[in-house]
Amino acid sequence: MVHKKVVVKICVGTACFVQGGADLLLYEDFLDPDLLSMCEIEGSSCIGRCKLDDFEGKAPFVEIDGTVFGQMTPKRLIQLIREAVNAGNK
Amino acid sequence: MLEINNQYTVIKRKIDTEVLKAFFTGRLEESVDRLPIKIIPRDRDPNRCCVYKERAMVRYRIMALLGVDIEQEDDDYRSLASYVKQSWESPMPVFPTLTTIAPGCSSCPDEQYRITDSCRGCFARPCIANCPKEAIRFVNGRAFIDDQRCIKCGKCLDVCPFHAVIQVPVPCEQACPVDAIHKNDQGFVEIDREKCINCGHCSRSCPFGAIVERSSLLQVADMLKGEQEVVAMIAPAIEGQFPGSLNQIISGLKAVGFSEVVEVAEGAQITASHEAHEIGERVESGLPFMTTSCCPAYMQLVDKHVTTLSDYRSQARSPMVYTAELCSDRYPQAKLVFIGPCLAKKVEAASIPEISSVITFTELASLFVARDIDIREMPEDPMVSPEQIFSDCREFAVTQGVANSVLRRCDVPIQTMHINGIDRKTIRIMKTWTRKSPDAQLVEVMCCEGGCLAGPGVLVNPKIAHRLRQGVDVATVGTRPIVGRGKHVQAAGD
Repeated sequence: MVHKKVVVKICVGTACFVQGGADLLLYEDFLDPDLLSMCEIEGSSCIGRCKLDDFEGKAPFVEIDGTVFGQMTPKRLIQLIREAVNAGNK
Repeated sequence: MLEINNQYTVIKRKIDTEVLKAFFTGRLEESVDRLPIKIIPRDRDPNRCCVYKERAMVRYRIMALLGVDIEQEDDDYRSLASYVKQSWESPMPVFPTLTTIAPGCSSCPDEQYRITDSCRGCFARPCIANCPKEAIRFVNGRAFIDDQRCIKCGKCLDVCPFHAVIQVPVPCEQACPVDAIHKNDQGFVEIDREKCINCGHCSRSCPFGAIVERSSLLQVADMLKGEQEVVAMIAPAIEGQFPGSLNQIISGLKAVGFSEVVEVAEGAQITASHEAHEIGERVESGLPFMTTSCCPAYMQLVDKHVTTLSDYRSQARSPMVYTAELCSDRYPQAKLVFIGPCLAKKVEAASIPEISSVITFTELASLFVARDIDIREMPEDPMVSPEQIFSDCREFAVTQGVANSVLRRCDVPIQTMHINGIDRKTIRIMKTWTRKSPDAQLVEVMCCEGGCLAGPGVLVNPKIAHRLRQGVDVATVGTRPIVGRGKHVQAAGD
């Protein structure tokens, strides 16, 4: 059975990039190879959330299979990707 | 040393951004006293004891941002607005660059070695066998360190097969290469200005954010708002700090209001040529070695602690000095702002009348965010050619980069070596150089391990910055390994 890959977009707009988003780009270092093989990860232009008042101060943002998450850290990204991969396996 | 991006640095950038936003709307004075509450809302899950202490620390950070020397001017009764007013009326003196926040200091206990309960009380007892001061005894079947005797050499820690020995450091004291930071009678952090070389390692390692640099950011923002011509002199380390090419960063700088942007690599070329010429002469006249002179923290180190090396330093001025000269020729009316990764540069710049202010990359980042500038969306400036005669000198920002730039301009074959980061041990070695010369004629010295790319004012992990500097697109940078040397170096060799 072929699993559908989890699509991860890391915002590399300046606001996200300078608030710790740059560290997320080291995903090859901190993601388990197993998880890595289940994902398609890339940097994406500004996803626009930083411009919305409700999300002010929540950079950096990451979009996982269409859902946007704020205040992302490497630790949280690992957890969310694991959840997304597990959900896809069911 | 802490990671570049941690919860403290991220909030620090947020504070800078909020202050700048308020400034650009023209309402800083009236809103500044409410900013700590806006930044630390009541429902925040605090990292300090409570949100109120966090707000107090935000207040201090804003004071440092206004250029206040917190050690001298810590008046709880004064409003931030009055500090804002004061900073407009009379610009604060630049010295001292680093200031401490006593209420933020955790008064960490003195450095100690301790035996944890992982000690198995083994038969071989390598800790006792290796302790040079007989500071370890056995009490109730377990090793015990006598603080009075322990000289903190760490031998027991190295040899324990159960990793039962731990070293508990005082992070700021451990990071300071020149013993300039210690606790005062009340147990709070204090910097010895006579010894301090302004490398900024302490401010980067304090996990409580109790050591801050006094900023010139608002003065710069004020210049940008006015009619005055302002030239940005960008340090070579800037490439890779933002999600775009060097060209896009330059466009971004113009978008925030700098009238011109000049690369300090241009001045670095003069430094490198000077040093290449000088090392040739020195080798001919039989002098054993010469060190580089571009790292301002190293220059202060020699002046204050290793005076024997004074004559061994290159006579070349720093890239910043040459660039400032170029700029004042080209733009005689303009104010010059140096933008770099370095705190020691603030001290160096204070002695150069042409330069008005120095800000760091992290402060520039806040300027971009406050002004809604997305570097990734910036156009490539067609006026700026990526390949210049000085392109290879952009590598001044990286360990070995200075020495290599000098080598490429040198006619005689010379040996080089690199001091990649200054710590206590390197300083001890440096002190012996006049008796026993290093095994090279040209010694490149950089105070920060990893070069300027790992300086106290950077905001991107050097691993990512290196890849971006090689021209990798930021969207795919995560998948690209670091290959060879920087593109500028290869281009220059062609």
